[in-house]
Amino acid sequence: MASLTTLRNSLRAPVSLHPFLLQNSTPRALYHSYEHDLPPPYRNPEAAILSSALAHVPNHGFTTIALTLGARETGYLDISSNLFPKGAFELVKYHLVTQRLGLKNRLQFPDEGRLGVGRKVRSLILSRLQANVETGVVGRWQEALALMSLAENIPASLRELSALSDEIWFLAGDVSVDSSWYTKRASLAAVYAAAEVYQTTDTSTGFRDTEAFLDRRLEEVRTIGGAVGGTVEWAGFQAGAVVNLMRSKGLRI
Amino acid sequence: MAFVLPRAAVVPSLPLKARLTPLAFQLQARSRNVSARRTIISSAASPATEPEPERLHKPQPSRRKPLSAEQKKYLDKALRVNQAGELAATLIYTAQMPPINKAYPHLRPLMKHMYDQEAGHFKKFNELLAKHRIRPTAMYPLWQAAATFLGWSTAAMGREAAMACTEAVETEIGEHYNGQVRELLTWMTDMENRGEEVGEELRLLIEDIRRIRDEELEHLDHAVQNDAKEANPYELLTGVIRTGCRGAIWVSEKV
Repeated sequence: MASLTTLRNSLRAPVSLHPFLLQNSTPRALYHSYEHDLPPPYRNPEAAILSSALAHVPNHGFTTIALTLGARETGYLDISSNLFPKGAFELVKYHLVTQRLGLKNRLQFPDEGRLGVGRKVRSLILSRLQANVETGVVGRWQEALALMSLAENIPASLRELSALSDEIWFLAGDVSVDSSWYTKRASLAAVYAAAEVYQTTDTSTGFRDTEAFLDRRLEEVRTIGGAVGGTVEWAGFQAGAVVNLMRSKGLRI
Repeated sequence: MAFVLPRAAVVPSLPLKARLTPLAFQLQARSRNVSARRTIISSAASPATEPEPERLHKPQPSRRKPLSAEQKKYLDKALRVNQAGELAATLIYTAQMPPINKAYPHLRPLMKHMYDQEAGHFKKFNELLAKHRIRPTAMYPLWQAAATFLGWSTAAMGREAAMACTEAVETEIGEHYNGQVRELLTWMTDMENRGEEVGEELRLLIEDIRRIRDEELEHLDHAVQNDAKEANPYELLTGVIRTGCRGAIWVSEKV
């Protein structure tokens, strides 16, 4: 009952105050503490409406109709879809956030450590793509991609993509914290985005073609990464060799 | 029944979005204020005047209350800057060692000792960053190049200049760690006063940063003992290096 009152109070406040009162935006990832879990990203009424709306997406797509049906089913008035100023994009974002946070529960690796980080990354990406299939959203995902590409939604979508990329690398056990931290996350985000778009056009059994597509992209990343890394290493060796040569000639450097 | 207002009659004096209610204005100003305050402050005060809570050396029960967003932001920035600082320190020593060891073989054990301690600090902060999912500074390759150049150029200027460089960098880093330790100890005393538990994570973090701060100040003493003050453009050199360090710390906090 308390949640209904706060919901009603927030809806009664002027529209300009909604961003401050309905803070369901995922905060930027900061110091991750192992002593406490992060608070849930959505408050109870919103989470209830969005999760039941998601069940209507296969039939009605990512639209305000799905939101209204979700509100109706959870026992709220149809007008409660006004809680979501960005409309259907909020439904897309809810799916992205819940799937990202649920990834660690979907796939766990045994502690033996036989799998390399690369293979773990591949498994995590495939698991996340499988989640699109399991929630029944993959048939309507092109609508979601269109919504995410709208100018007003691009910052939030990119933030979610980079958060997913960071989550996948963390779960795969990556511990590097030099400049490769950025390049790894950027390349993984690009690969995942490409695979997700490809998945929406894939008609093969069990999405085998998506898996093959992903393998080709990961192979490309490995090749290019190896080539760039090798070139940088070569340049470093050349510079060191020049300095050592001059030292051997007696130059006091 | 519909009537249309002539367009000329409805001209808002300000863009509509700028017209906030007083309450909305207050909330917006409060959220802006919080992010604008400078988070990390260095302290030149001597470590001897720091509070020494007895809780610091005993294992603590786990916290019931999670860290606030402000505290997490502080730790995020602090650890990022610390990792960047240790990266720079290891690269400075790596660049200084070949010319210095060749010209002054008796300094070899001292340089090796200081380098080993810096390498240990760097490893520790790398582990902390990876464990707590903190992003490293985006200026990483730039700091790599700058630190290597700094170490190489001061070594080329001579032993005293190399020691003066070490003294300048260690003074800045020492003050920086002092500020952090004081801030974290203030948190600890606040928690004690409120009757909250401190938790092992925070306690071990404070102990680690204190130990690292002590070792950095030890390097400072070694540098001064080895004629850092005899360097020829002493004021200019240390002034430039200290300003550069402060700028690098400020940038690493943000980026």
